[in-house]
Amino acid sequence: MSSDDDIRKPFLEFAGPNGNYYANVFLKIQKATLSRTHLNPVALVGSFVWAALRGNWLLFTIGFVIDLVAAINVALHFKFAKAAVDNVDRAYLVERYEGWSQSHIIAAVVIFILGRLLFSWLADRLYVIQYNRWRVNNSVNSGVSMARLVIVTIVSALIVPPMIYRASQFSPDARTCIKQDRAIDRGEEVSFKARFDCFAIGEFPTLFWIERPDQISFPRDENGERIVQRTPPREGSPPVNLNTLVAQKIDDGIGYVTVFYSFLFDEITRLLRTMLTVITSVFVGTPWPVTMGVLLFVAYRMAGIRTTIFVGASLIYLALFGFWQTAMDTLSLVVAASIICVVIGLPTGIWVGKSKRAQFIVTPILDVMQTIPSFVYLLPAIAFFSIGKPPGILATVIFAAPPMVRLTALGIRQVSEDTKEAALAFGANPRQLLTKVELPLALPSIMAGINQVVMMSLSMVVIAALIGAGGMGYIVTEALENTETGRGVLAGVGIALLAMMIDRVVQKANLGRR
Amino acid sequence: MTDSNCANVVETRNVWKIFGDRADEALEAVRRDSLSKDEVLERFDAVVGVRDVSISAGAGEIFCIMGLSGSGKSTLVRHINRLIEPTAGEILVNGVNVGALKPEELLAMRAESIGMVFQNMALLPHRTVRDNIAFALELRNVDIFTRNNVADKVIELVSLKGYGDRYPSELSGGMQQRVGLARALAADPDILLMDEPFSALDPLIRRGLQDEFLELSASMKKTTLFITHDLDEAIRMGSRIAIMKDGEIVQTGTPEEIVTKPADDYVADFVAGISKLRLVYAHTVMINIEEFESEGSKLPAIEECPWAHPEDDLDKLIGLAVNQENPVIIMDDSTPVGVVTKDALLRGIQGET
Repeated sequence: MSSDDDIRKPFLEFAGPNGNYYANVFLKIQKATLSRTHLNPVALVGSFVWAALRGNWLLFTIGFVIDLVAAINVALHFKFAKAAVDNVDRAYLVERYEGWSQSHIIAAVVIFILGRLLFSWLADRLYVIQYNRWRVNNSVNSGVSMARLVIVTIVSALIVPPMIYRASQFSPDARTCIKQDRAIDRGEEVSFKARFDCFAIGEFPTLFWIERPDQISFPRDENGERIVQRTPPREGSPPVNLNTLVAQKIDDGIGYVTVFYSFLFDEITRLLRTMLTVITSVFVGTPWPVTMGVLLFVAYRMAGIRTTIFVGASLIYLALFGFWQTAMDTLSLVVAASIICVVIGLPTGIWVGKSKRAQFIVTPILDVMQTIPSFVYLLPAIAFFSIGKPPGILATVIFAAPPMVRLTALGIRQVSEDTKEAALAFGANPRQLLTKVELPLALPSIMAGINQVVMMSLSMVVIAALIGAGGMGYIVTEALENTETGRGVLAGVGIALLAMMIDRVVQKANLGRR
Repeated sequence: MTDSNCANVVETRNVWKIFGDRADEALEAVRRDSLSKDEVLERFDAVVGVRDVSISAGAGEIFCIMGLSGSGKSTLVRHINRLIEPTAGEILVNGVNVGALKPEELLAMRAESIGMVFQNMALLPHRTVRDNIAFALELRNVDIFTRNNVADKVIELVSLKGYGDRYPSELSGGMQQRVGLARALAADPDILLMDEPFSALDPLIRRGLQDEFLELSASMKKTTLFITHDLDEAIRMGSRIAIMKDGEIVQTGTPEEIVTKPADDYVADFVAGISKLRLVYAHTVMINIEEFESEGSKLPAIEECPWAHPEDDLDKLIGLAVNQENPVIIMDDSTPVGVVTKDALLRGIQGET
């Protein structure tokens, strides 16, 4: 008997009040004999208040959210019920509001009942984890403390009223609030409730209004030279918010650069176009039997017979459905973009791999390049280079270059210090260390980078069709505009095959080399 | 340079290495107050790697540096080819101050006069055995024909004939380390730095490579700094041994000196388990004849006694003393110079002389 007491002692010490109940439950959990449907009755009634008293903040959060969501649904029910009464003269609104009102009250009841059941089912099962942590670290919350009830009261007082208020009111839209701001400027009276609603329950309020900036344009003067002309805003034109102001400034900056440094962009465009012409002449200019034969031969030499069969089947698909020229067009774009990515990415990657500072500077830039939605690149590309293939290639390069840099840097960094030390001990200078040791050892990683670049280029080239880059993507965008599902699907499959083809060959070649 | 310097192919003079941002400050403090390693770490957040080490190795000598891991032996040896810059002190290689070399001269020295062998081989996995071995030559822009020729000769030297076109990953650990050794020998350097070359190998292969290296060394006469954490190995390989502890040299001497006259308890602990049979020589355990007779014993007629040379080791003396009543006479140029009694022999095996 005394040994049983010894076993129960820590449970009792941990649980404090109602210790015997918890000792029994915890024992059952440890013996794996706890009933699957066991519920904690106190938790069922007390919910988050029980969790707070017991100091289990995870359970508190779960219980609090369940009850709050239920309460919000109740508030929504009353809001729409009232709206139905208020709009009694418009039948369609009454029907809509009554429907919503009803579904919210059902949701409230279901969430409350199921939520409470879930909570009381979880209660003891999570509470025992707290007990285990308490065994390791005695400062973990144990027993029951009234001080925690104070915290709960404060938290609830801060969160619950605004939540319920928000649910029971129709929030004003942004325009209403802007009008309200203007009205206050004119010195009109606005009710406190309307003012409060605009601040608390709609869009984050516009805290300050800024005077509308000058319009900037770049007309030619009498000598035909471009000049900067500032036009002040019309008398009495309304002020703007931060977003409008900064967007305007960015537009002005881009406008200035495109007007006064157009020669630069023209030069880049010309360069890209030349490069593309050469590549396109290879892919598109060669008769299809030759291209197909060469592609199959390359696939066979680099990746073996099985991949070649796949490549052959894909090429036949593209040819039969009339995508040959378009696919070769896309391929030229991918090759051009990939070449630029490698030319830029490889040295940058080496630099990043070798220098901590470079890593510090470049990594966030790469993060931004990869996370900005790819469509966003298209806008500045159009601004600087207008539409066509060159801006398409540039947008593709920005999107596809990061993995080249990352994987090159990774490969360089992975070369073991021992190997580098050995090379140094035999008199390697920094250039020899790079070319004879680091780059060869980083090659698998670099090849993986090239593979990634090609894949990402292909996906971006399709998007770049939106700004006139042409190729397979153009068929897809056209199909999208005219809702020609069949054509779109066929082109989509063609793009997928193109991607898989390149991926298989490059990957197999990379594996085979090792 | 004076003559005495020229005799020493490798020499370090009061070399200090302290790792950390505040190394110079720490060095000054250590020199002033002779702080311990822990105190330096606590006060300057710096680690003392090498502490005032002066060693010198003569031409053709195998100089062993023995110490446990963290004792600074690898750090010390990396100063010789300036893979690590000393915080203070200077290093002379063939009488030239390594610290004063221009970058180009340093690279030339590393490629041409110092070969290095590493514990983990550190071979280049993307190159064949031959190209690995010819690496130092390649770095000096030697043409392919010459370096393949040289590499093939060295491959034969380390008994890897026929493996020149294999990749390191196709070779066993022992064979890989032969490649490591061949790579170090390829440029025909005067000096070999061997950083625990055989530690990662299993005992049987280690033994074989040790023997082979001793043979090679005897014929090639390269000055070798041989690092090891294994006293047995140090004794087998070294003509002299320096024992390091916490970055300091505790004792330098021949294997016999280390075993028979350990400088302190630390060294004594190390040598306690070492067999003295091949390390202690007759001249150490013998007593001269007058002393022997003054103790009241009578020397039997010389013809009836077994005799040995002063340079013979205990192993041989035991062989002579077995089945013998008489003590062993030690003869130098056919003059008796001393006597080894059975008691002296037993004491000698114990290491107490």
